[in-house]
Parts: sequence; C-alpha cells; structure tokens
Amino acid sequence: MADQAGAQTAALPPRTAVVIGGNRIPFARSGGAYAYSSNKDMLIAALDGLVARFGLQGERIGEVAAGAVLKHSRDFNLTREAVLGSALSPETPAYDLQQACATGLETVVGLSNKIRLGQIDSGIAGGVDSASDAPIAVSEGLRRVLLDLSRAKTTQQKIKVLATLRPKDLSPNAPTTGEPRTGLSMGEHQALTTAAWEITREAQDELAYRSHHNLAAAYDRGFFSDLMTPYRGLTKDANLRADTSLEKLATLKPVFGKGLDTPATMTAGNSTPLTDGAAVVLLGSEDYARANNLPMLATIVDAEAAAVDFVTGEEGLLMAPVHAMPRLLQRNGFTFDDFDFFEIHEAFAGTVLSSLAAWEDPDYCKRVLGLDGALGSIDRSKVNVNGSSLAAGHPFAATGGRIVASLAKTLSEKGGRGLISVCAAGGQGVVAILEAR
Amino acid sequence: MSGTPREEVMLPGVPALPGLYRQALGLAARRRMLRAAVAPAVPAVQHRADGVRVDLGALTRFQQLLGSAARDAVPSAYVHTLAFPVAMSVLARPDFPLPLLGMVHLSNEVYQERPIDAAETLDVVAWAEHLRPHAAGTQVDVVIELRMGAELVWTGRSVYLARGVRLDSAGSDGRRDEDRPSFAVPTPTGVWRLGADTGRRYAAVSGDWNPIHLSGLTAKALGMTTAIAHGMYLAARMVDQAVPAPSGALQWRIDFATPVLLPGSVTTSFTRAGDESGRRTDVVGWSAKRRRPHFTGWVRAE
Repeated sequence: MADQAGAQTAALPPRTAVVIGGNRIPFARSGGAYAYSSNKDMLIAALDGLVARFGLQGERIGEVAAGAVLKHSRDFNLTREAVLGSALSPETPAYDLQQACATGLETVVGLSNKIRLGQIDSGIAGGVDSASDAPIAVSEGLRRVLLDLSRAKTTQQKIKVLATLRPKDLSPNAPTTGEPRTGLSMGEHQALTTAAWEITREAQDELAYRSHHNLAAAYDRGFFSDLMTPYRGLTKDANLRADTSLEKLATLKPVFGKGLDTPATMTAGNSTPLTDGAAVVLLGSEDYARANNLPMLATIVDAEAAAVDFVTGEEGLLMAPVHAMPRLLQRNGFTFDDFDFFEIHEAFAGTVLSSLAAWEDPDYCKRVLGLDGALGSIDRSKVNVNGSSLAAGHPFAATGGRIVASLAKTLSEKGGRGLISVCAAGGQGVVAILEAR
Repeated sequence: MSGTPREEVMLPGVPALPGLYRQALGLAARRRMLRAAVAPAVPAVQHRADGVRVDLGALTRFQQLLGSAARDAVPSAYVHTLAFPVAMSVLARPDFPLPLLGMVHLSNEVYQERPIDAAETLDVVAWAEHLRPHAAGTQVDVVIELRMGAELVWTGRSVYLARGVRLDSAGSDGRRDEDRPSFAVPTPTGVWRLGADTGRRYAAVSGDWNPIHLSGLTAKALGMTTAIAHGMYLAARMVDQAVPAPSGALQWRIDFATPVLLPGSVTTSFTRAGDESGRRTDVVGWSAKRRRPHFTGWVRAE
C-alpha cells in the first residue's frame, strides 16, 4: 500500500484526487472532556481511528498535512510528531500548515493538488485545536529580560538586566481571538458585518436551531458512525443541544455588538463556542483507492482562496469567501444551481447569513465583486444539512476536516455536487468544490 | 503457573498502596522484634479484585509524564501500575516470607493479547510463586493476570530480589556478581534526561510512593545510596518508544541491571529486528559515564 507516486512521470496530465474517508474525535467544549489533552494527543487520537478504519498500520502515506491555530512553540513539528506517535510508518513525511480557521480545508487543497500532480498517491489532511490547553506566553517585557539575561556575561551585567524588570512584566499573555491590526475580537468584527447586512436576531437563532436539529438528526441515523471515534469518554459533540428551541435561543443575552447603534443580535447561542477537537481526512488518487480496495466518496474538483481589506473597514473580516466564490464558480463554469449541498462554516450564524445576503444583492455583487448582477440565491434547505459549527463546535483547524469528510459522505450517499465555504481570521477565506463519484 | 492449587482471596477493590507500605513497615518491625521465623515458602493464595476501571484523568497524567500520546488505549505498563496494588497486597501478607520494603525489581515480562481501551472494566488476579535462591539473596516471581470477562488480556511476570535474605532451605544458585558478562556499549540512538524529581513525579501519576524512588533521604533509609528511577517508569518509556501505537498483541521484557540514580541520564539504543511473528525492537539503556548497563529489553508487536 506504500505510496508509489515516485514511479509516475511528472509530465503526465493532472489526475483526479478523491476523498476516501475521514475520522474525527467528538468535539468537546473548552475546559471539558479534553481539558488536559494536548493538540498532539488529539491529533494522534483522530489519526488512530483513521488508521484502524482503513487498515493503514505500518503504511507509508505520501504525506500528512495538518495544523493548529493555537499552537505551542514546542509543537513546531506537530504533525510529524503525531505521525511518529501513530501506527503509520515512521517513513511517512508530514508538514504543518496554519491559515487560521481555513487550516483544515487548506491542507485538503494542498495535498489533493499534490495527488493531482502525481507527486504523491495518498495523503492525510486535517487539523486540531485546543482552546483548553492553549499556550500561554510570558509578557514581552519578561521575554526581553530573559533573552538579555542569557546573553549577559558578568554578574554586574545580569543585575543591570534584572533591574529593568517591572512587576507588570510578570503577568502572562494568553492567546485571544482578537485581530492584531484592529484590536477587535472576531465576534465584534462579525457584529459590524451582521449589522451592515441587517441580519435579524430571529434569522440567526433560526440558523442556530437548524444546525443543532440537523446535527442531532445526523447522529440519530448513524451518519457519523464511520466518521468518528470516541475519545476520553465523549461519543458525541459536547456542544450539541438536541432539545434546543427557538424560544430557548431567544432568551439568551447578546454578547457582541453591544456598543453599536443598531440592536445587538449575536448571542452565545448563535455564535460558536471555544472548542477542543481534531479531524483528519484520507485522500488518494483513483489508482491508490482501487489498488487498495478503498472507497471513493467524492472527487476534489477545485478550490479558491481570497482575502479582503477588513483593516480599513472596506469589507467585513469574515467576508473573504464571498469574494472567492464567484472566481471559483466562473473558473469551473458553474452557478449555485449546479450544486446540491452547501457547507458554509458557521463561525457565527451572522457570517452565513451575511454571505448569503451578499451573494443575493445585485448592487453589492456589481460594485464589490465586479459581477454583472447578483451571484445567486442558495436554497436554505441545501445548507449544512448535517449541522455545522454552531452545533458541533469549532476547534479552529479541525473544522475543515470535519466539513470535507461530512460533505464527501453526503455526496457518496445522495450524489450530486457540493460547495464548501470557510472564513478565517485575518480577513481570509477558502472555498472548494467536491463532486460525487 | 505453579502446580500447587491456590486459595483465592477476593479483595473489596484495588487496595491503596500507601496503606500497604504502612502494613509492610509494621510487619518488618514486628518481625525484627520477635525474630519470628517465616516459613520458606510463598503462601498458596491469589488475590483478586474485580471491576477495576481506568480513571481518565490519571491515565492522561501518566501518558503525558511518560511522553506517550494521551490516547484511549491504555499503555501496557500502565496496566501493570493499575493492577500492582493487588500484587502488593500478596507481598504485604504476614505469611509472605520476604520483606517487601527494599526488594529489588529484577525483571518484567508482559504478554498483552490486544490493545485495552480505557473504558473497559478489568478483573485482576495476582499471586507469588517460584521462590528461589539468588546469588545476592532470594528471588520470587509475582504474576499478575487481567481479564475482561473470561478473556485473558494481559499477563505480567515480575521477578523481585530480597537482597541478603537467605531462607532456611535455600542455598546459593552459585552465580556471583563478578560473573556478569562484560558490557559492550551499543551505538546510542537517544538519551533520557531524568531530573531529581523523576521519582516523585512518577509516584504522583502511578500512585506508587515507594520511598526508594522519592528522595535521597528516603532512599538512604532503605539502604540505597540515593533515589533511583522506578523500574516501571523505565519500562513504560521503553515500550512506548519502541511501539508508540500498538494495534495487535504486544509482548515485552525488561531486565534491570544497575539502578538509575537520580538525577541522571540514561543513554538508549533502540534496534529494529524483524522476526517471524512480527516486529521486534531490542532496547538497551546504560550509563555513558560509568559504561554500565541500566537495563536491557525487547518489545514485540504483532
């Protein structure tokens, strides 16, 4: 089963890259079941399940790519370390990738491109994040003092360096979801966009309700039975509230956008909570899948990344996928009508609804996206049919793997074509097309 | 397994190790005072504890201290740690002929049928057998078996030495320390740097607060020159490093030579060797400074 891509000649035309399967651990709420599990622990747990499901023990995979958004500096080789801790052959190469919340999807894009080019035959893409086991750094003041101290030679020099230390330098820095250039949290950024697109509280709660309802229904019909392995006592996403109702969601107090002129509409119910988890996806060429008698759930057709100028307020922080989408559709000669399933990552309910509204707005599409008119409207019943991040939770880098595996399985069951849209910090986003076999 | 039938003693649960160490201390004092003669045989009993469960928090702390991944499969050496108090309760019996405190761990051999999940409930049986002389005293085998229902999943045999203890009928087996073969230093593949707190940190995650591992003072009280690393700590690291993610049966053995003094460094050599039934890794741990082996072992994954 070892990766044989080296035997191909590089001049061959692009091949087809397929999703063979996926595995993730249930997502836990921050401080919950995985409170003491590290990123490496969770990534290995996700890999373990994938290895067992597809019989990859001792196999050399073409390449493993994964990443984490909140990453400790000791985890500089996180993915390679996870491979070495797994049952995969130690001769499996790996690299880390980081593109905020698009990390997981971008690893799928990168490895599927290598497969298409004939550089590798098989790949495992994915991501992991822990909001519980987040790295905490010493303050900038203490860091400078410690570095200067290590360079000081005489006792006198050392005393001089230590004398520059101030009490405030001793407080540690925990990571935040704040944007470095604006100082606004992701929620506050989305609140600006939600208000600009006049997305109502009711519409956001309705989307959150559907996310929980759809995810619960997917569990009930066993949809995740071959996409998930239990970990640390969890067998389901801990954030899932199967019994939530619009009435319950309506009682929650707004948490973002409280300082704006417009009414604050974003609550803990229609925003994703901080979550811990990991997800991986097995990719391969058609030959690899056939030779090893492995399923082919879906073809990875194409992908597009975009970035927007959110710093000046020109565009909303999480609106980059809105810009990537027309470019991807045009390149492939598709419209929204050509798709049967849409996976739009629910960073916030407002993100999904703002994106949908933007694509439906002819004026915005002409003025901002440079189109002739509205990009199109998406049938809401085709969006996130098995639930998404509002219900499952969103361990940043793990979300891409969760979405790709779920969509690929849906396509293998129902046929058709699927579209993925993932927004990310830094005003970035990645969109991708998957197609049933 | 020995031929003598053993009476089974059902324990209400896994006993607490500190209590057993106190019991052993009291027993040792009484024996010294009374100069009581002990029958030169191990009691024909096996102790049993049913329904043993893994605490996920404790498991995570153990895995992270040993540098293994905190996965749901229980490390093979942790299974020993879980079941060890049951074996200890045999060694702490008043009719057990050797003094528990200060006994030296000579070797461990384990056969594990399949990976054990942290959610499984296990039944533990432990007994002592094969009491016999050793050049430096008297040695005994301690056997631990773990079952999941009727299925035997884990068997371990540890050999302990009571240094300087001569039982009435026991002569020497004729081997002397000087007879040890000379040590050829292998090509190193790594090093374990063990801090002075290694024993205390291992005690915290294993629950085994044997004084010889905790500090120089407590170790000296039991005749050691200073604190030494716990044998199962070395074994756990050896097994995990050799086979990080066992997916089938796992068999391993470790033979302890000279103790690892804390703080200290253990230079290691891991050598892959295929054999007919699977992959085998041979391991040696030694002191580069003293050029003496700390342990040799092997791990075989099927």
